[in-house]
Order: sequence, then structure tokens, then C-alpha cells
Amino acid sequence: MVETLKFPRQSPDKYAIKVDLLSKHFRIPKERKQTTYDHLVSLLPGRETLYDDFWALKDVSFSVQKGETFGVIGANGSGKSTLLKILAGVLYPDFGTVQVQGKIAPFLELGVGFQPDLTARENIYLYGSIMGLSKKSIAVRYDEILEFSDLKRFEHMRLKNFSSGMTVRLAFATAIQTDPDILLVDEVFAVGDEAFQRKCTEKIEEIKGAGKTIIYVSHALESVRELCSRCLALDHGTIQSLGETDVVIADYLAISASGSRI
Amino acid sequence: MWLVQYRDLIWNLTISDLKVKYQSSVLGFAWSLLNPLLMMLVLYFVFSNVFRFEVENFALYILIGIIVWRFLVNGTMTAMGSIVGRPGLVTKIFIPRQILVLSSVLSAFVSSILEFLVLIPLLFILGVGVTVYILLFPIVHVIYLLLVYGISLFLASLYVYYRDLNQIWDVVLQAGFFLSPIVYPISVIPAAYLSYYMLNPMTMLMEIYRDFLLYGSMPSLLSISMVFMAGCLIAVFGSLLFQRLERRFAEVI
Repeated sequence: MVETLKFPRQSPDKYAIKVDLLSKHFRIPKERKQTTYDHLVSLLPGRETLYDDFWALKDVSFSVQKGETFGVIGANGSGKSTLLKILAGVLYPDFGTVQVQGKIAPFLELGVGFQPDLTARENIYLYGSIMGLSKKSIAVRYDEILEFSDLKRFEHMRLKNFSSGMTVRLAFATAIQTDPDILLVDEVFAVGDEAFQRKCTEKIEEIKGAGKTIIYVSHALESVRELCSRCLALDHGTIQSLGETDVVIADYLAISASGSRI
Repeated sequence: MWLVQYRDLIWNLTISDLKVKYQSSVLGFAWSLLNPLLMMLVLYFVFSNVFRFEVENFALYILIGIIVWRFLVNGTMTAMGSIVGRPGLVTKIFIPRQILVLSSVLSAFVSSILEFLVLIPLLFILGVGVTVYILLFPIVHVIYLLLVYGISLFLASLYVYYRDLNQIWDVVLQAGFFLSPIVYPISVIPAAYLSYYMLNPMTMLMEIYRDFLLYGSMPSLLSISMVFMAGCLIAVFGSLLFQRLERRFAEVI
């Protein structure tokens, strides 16, 4: 099960995700201490470590309704990925609360945990279980995965002999079988050839149609406009605007245009 | 409980770990079994001819010591890198990170069982045979697993922050090899130090394994329960430390 059990759950209501005053703070040491020796040296007097403080997210609040496709946009370093990682349970929030209802499937990167030395078949079972599928349900969906990825012929080939496109196809086909309530997507669909991309978009539409919640993080404003009804624009870790996608994107474009002129 | 909820994942990670380990060469599997045997021959030659220890069945005595010791070395060494070595599984998806440590230890556990299986025909060939007490093997080996898992939790979580820990642990293991009764009988330890020497859980473990494998006798229940207690304590404190440090794994890796 891919679930973030750490977060407190509330009685069922219409929210899939509810984020309240979420802040995430990183302390980046000016010199990196990686070894025991470094740590010992830093204990010497006059050797205090200096830190760069930086808030990746500051007082971010929003909620996503069940069945909604919610976009997150923003420039590089605006905190999009940090937000997604906190929702996925990979990073811990420093302040604020995150409530998630339902099973989350994080598509932050496809093919996490693939073993190049193993065959496609072995990797489907490995990756499937990493994504939270039981052995039984992988066995049931096994043929469908191979069919969707169009890799039936290469079932027993080792992954290291796959092209990168084939690897990604295998990963996507497996990951999409997890049947989550909430899908976190971080621009992973910009992969594969055009035909496969079309297949992916169809699949996402299908998931959307099935009433699942999708959080979609992207630079591609066109696809955000196409997919998402509501949207959140982040700027240096704070909310720049939040609401109807068209309004938010217009805002975002206006501000980044004026920003670039200065 | 993550152990039950993620059992398929733990199993799949362990199996793929073993497959990768043994697939890399045709002799891969054979080598991993030959290694302790060759090691035993070298040590047997040195310690029976140069140091002239008089121990009955000294070859088997050494071999059991080596096989027991190897599980600690292989288990902790691979598990230490299990968090750092698989950054994708830490930073791109949430799974309880103990799983990565546990599956590394389990794959060393399976290898260790295979090594013990090679030992059994040797027990017959060299005329020792087995007794009913060999049935204790599963229980003792699972207790030992607990101990190795506990130590690995400490090592894996600290290694994320202290990347030279593997060097330090390597030296500790070298020292431990000679501080445990692997290549010499306990009788060579001066009586004044004996009570300290026996505090080493590895010493107790080796005594236990030799009792039921080599001497065909019932090991002391006190030793078994003490090793079990040590394993529980280390596993509990290891888990606590791991949970404390785990929060920032994804930021540091």
C-alpha cells in the first residue's frame, strides 16, 4: 500500500488533500560535513558551522477536493517539488499539517528501484511491489502491463539492454496499474515517443474520468490549462495565486513577465 | 505494522538482491560458498601449524566460526549502504525505510543459511555427524538475524550522515574477528580477562553454534536467552534511532 500513514486522518469528507499553513525549512551548511572527521573538526572552538537558511515553503494552505485535477505551477525553485514530496510522505513538514485521504501514488519519477541486471518480468514484480501492489494483483495485471508497454517480445530480456524509451514505457505501464485514489504527477509524461505520449494522456484522462484526484505539477502551462480545473501558482515558497486555472495562469504570466523586465 | 503490510515488497527486494548478487557470474553462487572454505583452509594452516593450537576437529571449529562471523560482516556491510545506495527509493517514493535495511539483512541471511548447508556434508565426511540438537538451528539463526538487523539499523541510519562510517566499521569488524573465538580456542584467553571476553555476544553465539553442530550437545539456555536479550535491546534502540534520523534522509542523500 502506498499510503502516508504518518498524517492524521479525519472522518471522510469531500477533501482528498487538505494542507494547512505548511512550511518547510532547509538549513544548508556553507561547508558540507559528510564524514566523522568533518564533524569532529567542527567541534573545535572557532569552527562554528555557518548555515544558509531557506524556506522552501512558507505558510502554504490549500485543499483539493475528491475527483479534482489540481495543477501546481511556478518557476524553478519555487517549491513545487518540495510540496509534492511532502504530499508523497518523502519529506516531513516542519510546520503545519497535511491531511491526505486515500491511497496516494506518487509519480515523482518513473522506474524507481529498477534493477538493470534483472529481466523485464522480474522488474515488473519488483517495481509493482514498490508501487504498493501485492504479488497477486501484479500477476493478474501482468499481461496488461506488457501489452500497454508493447514489450511482450522482450519479457525475458534484461533491463540493461533496454533503450531508455522502453524502460520508461515499462515503468509507466506498471505504475499506472496501482489504482490509487490520489495521483501525484511531476512532469513524468514528457517521455517516450509521440504515440506513447498520446497513450499516456489517454490513460490520465481515463483516470480522471474514473473520479480520481490528480495533483499535476508542470511547467507546461498548456497541458495544465487542458487538464486542471483549479490551480496553484507558487513563488519562492509562498502562494502567488490560487483558484481557477485560467485566472491563475494569466496572473502567473503577468507577474513573471514584469519580473523579467526588472 | 509495516512488516505485514509490505511483506511482498520485502520479499521481492530480498529476492532481487540475491538474484543480482548470484547472477553476475556463472561461478557467482559457487564462489560465495567456496570463499568460506578457502578461508578456512588458510586459517587452519596458519593456526594449526604456526600457532600449534591443539583443538579437536580444528578445521570444522574454524569453519563454523567463519560462517557465523560472515553473516555479521555481510549483513551489516551491505545493510549499511542500503539507504544511501538506493536514493530513488528514499527520495522519490515513500516506503518505510526499514524495509531497505531488512531486505539487505535478509539476503545475507539466506546466503548464510546456504553456507551452513554446505557445512553439513562436511560434518559427515570428517566423521562428526549430526545430532538431534541441530534442530535448534532455525531458532538460533533467527535470534542472530535479530541481532544483525539491530546493528544494521544503527549503521544504515548513521551512515547517511557519516559517510566514512564504513571505514570505521571495517576496523571494528577486523578487531572483532580476533576478539571472537574464530581461529583459536577460548582456553587461550587468560583467566583474568575471561569474564570480559565472554560479554561479547558473538563469543556466546559461536559457542552456541559449535555446541549443537560440532559437539552434538545442548547449548546453554542462559547463553541463548542472553543473546536473544542483546538482540532485542539492539533492535529496539536501533529502531528508535532509525526513526529519529529517518525524517531527514531524503534531504541529506
